[in-house]
Amino acid sequence: MTPPIVEELIRRAARRPAIVAYPEPQDARILQAAARAAAIGIARPVLVGAPGALPLDAGPAVERRPIQEDANLDRLAVEYARRRGVAVPTARRLVHRPLIHAATMVSLGEADCMVAGATHTTASVLQAAGLAIGYREGVSAPSSCFIIVAPRLGERRDVPLVFADCAVNVDPTAEELASIALSAAESARTLLGLTPRVAMLSFSTHGSAAHPKVDIVRRATELVGDSLTDGFVDGELQFDTAVDPAVAAVKTPGPGEVAGRANVLIFPDLNAGNITYKAVQRLSGALAVGPILQGFARPVNDLSRGASVDDVIATTAITVLQAQGNP
Amino acid sequence: MERDEIMDRVCDVVSAVLGVNVGDITPQSRFVEDLGAESIQSIELVAGFEEEFEIEMDEEAALQVKSVDDAVDFIADVITEQQDE
Repeated sequence: MTPPIVEELIRRAARRPAIVAYPEPQDARILQAAARAAAIGIARPVLVGAPGALPLDAGPAVERRPIQEDANLDRLAVEYARRRGVAVPTARRLVHRPLIHAATMVSLGEADCMVAGATHTTASVLQAAGLAIGYREGVSAPSSCFIIVAPRLGERRDVPLVFADCAVNVDPTAEELASIALSAAESARTLLGLTPRVAMLSFSTHGSAAHPKVDIVRRATELVGDSLTDGFVDGELQFDTAVDPAVAAVKTPGPGEVAGRANVLIFPDLNAGNITYKAVQRLSGALAVGPILQGFARPVNDLSRGASVDDVIATTAITVLQAQGNP
Repeated sequence: MERDEIMDRVCDVVSAVLGVNVGDITPQSRFVEDLGAESIQSIELVAGFEEEFEIEMDEEAALQVKSVDDAVDFIADVITEQQDE
């Protein structure tokens, strides 16, 4: 059964479908998902691959984009060479690769976004996107977030939250942590329609403990405060202070916009983020949707290699929503 | 092809792809630590070597190449194999 939050993401994606490049057309799950994404109106799918890897007929609303020696390849090679400063012949070799070809299409606006990873590693997807698309202004590396639906939070039921980074950045600096937080705030806005209330998490609340690790979170909080528009940030905060109004009332000076009501939770490193998302999933039955990639100049998402057709559809809906939020 | 010639041409490719001066590249230079490459640029180096030497490199194996010396050894082996085929 499709979880209600995913149904909602699909419903919202269908309001403004985007052109989605799928560079793994030899995978049966991708073919099925592309046809279904077109049928339910969330995407205009484009299958990108070597001519021999493309199905002869992918369905009525699914475009085929063969990678072959033609004007398309020339245009993409020139664009790649321009963007990256490499020689055109080298760029031609690179855009022969499906992931880089599709990512360069996204860079050129020939597609709005890319969904890959059914048959490629996460590292390859991040590499193609980082090279051919690049990062948003002020972002130096990609990060990830999860949508976590907490079954119960105080009196509330099925509360959607954003957790970051639980999958990519192992030991972020203050600057990287700030960039993760800003990307996660954007994800909360575009994916959930929330006004971001960003808690920069630590084992300390507003100086209750002194440690270099706390200093990093405090510095990141300042940097986020300098850049976050249309949202709120507070830190450093302990998890209970961030989400529980009663604890927040005791540990912070007064009613604020974040403490006790945070909806974007930024973990100081991957140990904390990865362990926490798995712990809430296993102990409280929270639903975790992700990892969702963030920080690229245009949206790209990575599938698990064990992804089902339903997973590809959910990831497509998320990527389309990210594309809708793109300026 | 002599090893010295491979070395010179590898240095030219590395210089072009990473935007560093040829004079700053030594056989011991490591791409990421010494020459400032981002790890995601490995595939650009592979494509540059393939173009320069007209060879095909196995991507997974090529990604284990971390330094200029490694690259020269790897490419010399690929050239020998492809000549034997």
